[in-house]
Amino acid sequence: MRVFNRIVVILLLVGLIALGAYTVVYSFELFGYQLSNLSSALNGFTSGVEGFVSDVEDGNLPALTIAILAAVALLGLILLFMEFKPRRPRRVRMQRGTYVVRDIVKDEVSSAAEETPNVLGSTTTVAAKRRPGAKVKLRADVRRGQDKKAIKSDLRERVQQHLARTGVPLGRLKLKLVESDPRQTKTRVQ
Amino acid sequence: MTNGILQIARAAGEAVLATEGVHSLGTGRYAEAATYEGTEKFTGVVVKPDELEIHIVATYPLMRPIPDLAQLIRDRVATESGGRRTLVVVEDLEVADEGL
Repeated sequence: MRVFNRIVVILLLVGLIALGAYTVVYSFELFGYQLSNLSSALNGFTSGVEGFVSDVEDGNLPALTIAILAAVALLGLILLFMEFKPRRPRRVRMQRGTYVVRDIVKDEVSSAAEETPNVLGSTTTVAAKRRPGAKVKLRADVRRGQDKKAIKSDLRERVQQHLARTGVPLGRLKLKLVESDPRQTKTRVQ
Repeated sequence: MTNGILQIARAAGEAVLATEGVHSLGTGRYAEAATYEGTEKFTGVVVKPDELEIHIVATYPLMRPIPDLAQLIRDRVATESGGRRTLVVVEDLEVADEGL
């Protein structure tokens, strides 16, 4: 479910729960609430809304309320924009009519990282692009004091070679090297 | 249009399985990839009115790049597809069990 739908459903359900709770409390006259008092309680609510609307019409709103309303409007605009944005595909498009699941790309990138000297472990995330190609984020663990620039360049080359061999077009490769303790990395100690 | 879609799926499936580099037919990752007709179904090939969707598990190590394998599959199923556009989805890689 998209974020916009989720927010709408959450608000709707919260409203329904509140309405249901009020109905039960007033119907069974719990906690001293009586059905005959409901109209006065609703009057309080409606007069509050009327007061707010008349303040809006007169332009008498406090700065904080204006800021909150502006933020709500902005949030609504962002959510609407996100809703209109087409969904990211689940599979990586390669070329005309050929798709590959993200896990295959992930495995290829991980094996390329494991083959790279001085890389102790890695974590890969792969996202499919709307155009052909995959967006790859690779976090590699290296020992402290290693030449990060050289490792990064080697790693980039190996990933590109691996993916080229399988025929997966690489849209974007984001590499991050993290200095880690070899005893705590998951893969191996060289 | 729906007449014989199961036969098309079966014929395409057989052609795909005979392709070098294909380990097996896939079952679908997010939803079942199958062709249904009556009470029967064929998994791995989805026959649509204008599209033939083929789900495969490729043999690892890959004998050729995936796009080349997909093209080979397209050529193989060309006679069975009845002019439909062929989509190839590689769902997984499976280590070849030769010599076991």
